[in-house]
Amino acid sequence: MAGGLIVKFGFAAALGAAFLYAWAHARADRRAVLYGRLSFFASVAAQATASALLLFFILTHQFQYTYIWSYSSTNLPIPLLISTFYAGQEGSFMLWTLFTALIGLFLARYASRKDYEAEVMAVYSLILAFLFLMLVVKDPFEYIWVTFASDVIQSGPVPQGLANILVLDAAKGLWAQIPAEGRGLNPLLQNYWMVIHPQILFMGFSAMAIPYTLAVAGLLKKDYHSWIRVATPWSVFAALVLGVGIILGGYWAYETLGWGGFWGWDPVENSSLIPWLICVASIHTSLTQRRNGAFVRTNFALSLLSFVMVLYSTFLTRSGILGDTSVHSFVDPGMWVYWLLLLFIAVFVALGFGLLLWRMREMPKVPVQHSVLSREFALFLGAGALVFSAVFITVGTSSPIITTLLNGKASAVDIMYYVHTNLPLGIAITFLSGVGQLLWWRRTKTASLLKRMLVPAVVAFGVTAFMLLLGTEELLILLFVFTAAFSLAANVQVGWDMYRGNPKLAGGALAHIGIAVMCIGFVTSERYDETRTVALEKGKPAETLGYQLTYTGHRQVDAERYAFDVRVERDGRVLQVAPVMHYSEFTQSILRHPDLVNFLHRDFYVAPLSVEEATSGGSRAFELLKGTPTPLDGLSVTFLGFDFTDADRDAMMENKPFEIRALLEVVEGAKRERVVMRMNGGAGAPEYIPGRFESSSGDYAFTIVQMKPNQEDDSMSALVVSVTAPTDASRAGKDETLVIEASIKPYINLVWVGTVTLAIGFLLTMYRRLTERETSESEEEETEA
Amino acid sequence: MKPKVIVGVLVVAVGIVLGAVNFLDANVEYGNFQTAREMGKKLQVNGEWMREMQTSFDADKVVFTFYMKDENDEVVRVVYHGARPNNFEMASSIVAKGKFDGNEFHASDILTKCPSKYEGTGEDVKKSM
Repeated sequence: MAGGLIVKFGFAAALGAAFLYAWAHARADRRAVLYGRLSFFASVAAQATASALLLFFILTHQFQYTYIWSYSSTNLPIPLLISTFYAGQEGSFMLWTLFTALIGLFLARYASRKDYEAEVMAVYSLILAFLFLMLVVKDPFEYIWVTFASDVIQSGPVPQGLANILVLDAAKGLWAQIPAEGRGLNPLLQNYWMVIHPQILFMGFSAMAIPYTLAVAGLLKKDYHSWIRVATPWSVFAALVLGVGIILGGYWAYETLGWGGFWGWDPVENSSLIPWLICVASIHTSLTQRRNGAFVRTNFALSLLSFVMVLYSTFLTRSGILGDTSVHSFVDPGMWVYWLLLLFIAVFVALGFGLLLWRMREMPKVPVQHSVLSREFALFLGAGALVFSAVFITVGTSSPIITTLLNGKASAVDIMYYVHTNLPLGIAITFLSGVGQLLWWRRTKTASLLKRMLVPAVVAFGVTAFMLLLGTEELLILLFVFTAAFSLAANVQVGWDMYRGNPKLAGGALAHIGIAVMCIGFVTSERYDETRTVALEKGKPAETLGYQLTYTGHRQVDAERYAFDVRVERDGRVLQVAPVMHYSEFTQSILRHPDLVNFLHRDFYVAPLSVEEATSGGSRAFELLKGTPTPLDGLSVTFLGFDFTDADRDAMMENKPFEIRALLEVVEGAKRERVVMRMNGGAGAPEYIPGRFESSSGDYAFTIVQMKPNQEDDSMSALVVSVTAPTDASRAGKDETLVIEASIKPYINLVWVGTVTLAIGFLLTMYRRLTERETSESEEEETEA
Repeated sequence: MKPKVIVGVLVVAVGIVLGAVNFLDANVEYGNFQTAREMGKKLQVNGEWMREMQTSFDADKVVFTFYMKDENDEVVRVVYHGARPNNFEMASSIVAKGKFDGNEFHASDILTKCPSKYEGTGEDVKKSM
């Protein structure tokens, strides 16, 4: 109850702050800024308190709260128990709101130094208010007897001797019992990635709001230029944090979820990539504006769009609109959340873009003075390619909505769509990120450009030739490798010069190097990978992909999970992998976790598929409808009927031994035979006696599993039988067999090295933009070029 | 017209065409076994697993085969090159993406649809008392 009230208070305080700050802007009232600040601090304090309270309730297992009952349990280790804070929708909104509130403290100080506080914080508080509103609707503090009133609330005298009883209304005699145990955390989420990945991602989402608020503030103040300077460090921060979050998610998918790769173009993944791409595009176009005042409107539009895309992505993945079209199961959160999310988008599109249209007429028009061979134009094209990529991904992710509108039935696009549309853009982006660094501002002489391109081009040819040696591939892939290698070499060349001049300036080059290395890693690991499916019989070594694999048996890891030990040998080195496979009670499905060996130049990746019991053939159950022949391997089996005499019926009534017979007709070619199965009942457990059929490939045994006589219509009677097929000659005498998918991912370490380089590049850029003085920009940029 | 404008317009035009063609190409339509057989292209067919008919997994070839009944109650043998899909037994319905090869439907992808599997219900609350 207290938690819900605090959240409502936070909502009111955030809304009040938005109003007071807006008042301060409209009336130029300094006092209102102070009140707004107080109100904003109050909302931050409310969210911090509510979060602390939720965490406390989680740690003390207060299962009277539906959210806590739904996602946690008493047997979780502390880090995972803490992570249940954001395991469900309510809690992840809670985390998003918390980060937005906390980052707001820094933003308020920063904005006040830059004389932007009223405008920035008015918009920012409004965003915070919307997030609070989401928590009011999706309340993490809802009591279990509110959620499940009809099942939980009991009336009448309170029984004695029952634990955890809570009297709800003594006068009416209403009481409820509090669950002693929660449902627990989805085992798919039970690993260390869950402890770090979501926080970083949500911090990125929160940070994306800042470029938006600064753009709106710029529009409000009719300050069309210096806002860019104020915004850039935050855009870089947002791109850095969200980017790291995305990559960690990719590594999670690769290493523990066993999706085979680090990127599956899944809606959840795409929804964080789209704002990232737009934010990165805005960082690039803002460079041009800093330089010569161009792209004023583009910069506003892109900064606004990165946050709007965060909201749209949230709508896609949280509203339940994608339904069953993805491997993720999207829980339908109800109409309230659906419409609230739509309202959220509508309000911030209207506010940002409405203001932009309003101010558009009076914005200065900077005549474009650069030539085709200029850094400005390369930046423009590169940003355009990034935006195009974001548009393609948005369209693809929205395909269930688009197809519903077109065909009336939702269907998702194939993954190939994303690859086909983004590969040409990837080629353009990597090429431009290389050539752009070699170009001067305004114009570049062709001869000087060609001279500067020489070394990178030679390196690119070398790398591409090496790729050709690894195996022939399609033209576009080779082109992608070429442009990525070109960008790598060009940025190393330029970056080294900058580093020697002023290390702070090398951030951009370093980020480009990271991207280029990542792209080469994508190609080597995803396009030059080799995959084999292998059946490993216990104790028998099998050779695959140059490795000798021996399945040595399974062992139980914990209550549910089993690890399957496989010995990996190559050139006398012996290694061990232990993929995990188990049936999960929680998700009611089989979960599979891969294992891998990381070498410097490749990963050897083992994904478990299934395990076959030692006895081959196995038995399977069939339901046979009376009189209907059912195919079974090469046979045809027909259930003829039950044979149950009156004497047996009497014996059954008197609880004496009796026998029921079920008759089958089994046909194999010209051979037609009657098979009798028996069930002997009476005192004690019934005994089942199978009937046999001698087929050309061996003996089949049929056993009664369940009898479904139909008294009214005997032709509707049915019988479930279990069939044990003769030992398949190909599997005769085989031991337990583990089926795995083994793959080699060449040079996958490039992806991780590239990621780290990219992150360092972003950090350096952020540091540079935060520390830069209001000194002449051109001086600094000149040294950069 | 300046060369930059021409380049820009060209890039946008190529982009839109590229996107549209790929979208239509990669968007696998829904159908049933009959339309899949007639059209001969990749479709997604929604249906139900025939529990009582033979369902098997060949460990050596890694082929999972089962019988599926579509919306017109047509039963077809489905061949899937992969392991038994997750949640196969509990799925309320199955979507197989693929096309016909002879009388068999060769699926490249199988999605299983489960009735709200992660949501707790009032029944679950009672169990955890």
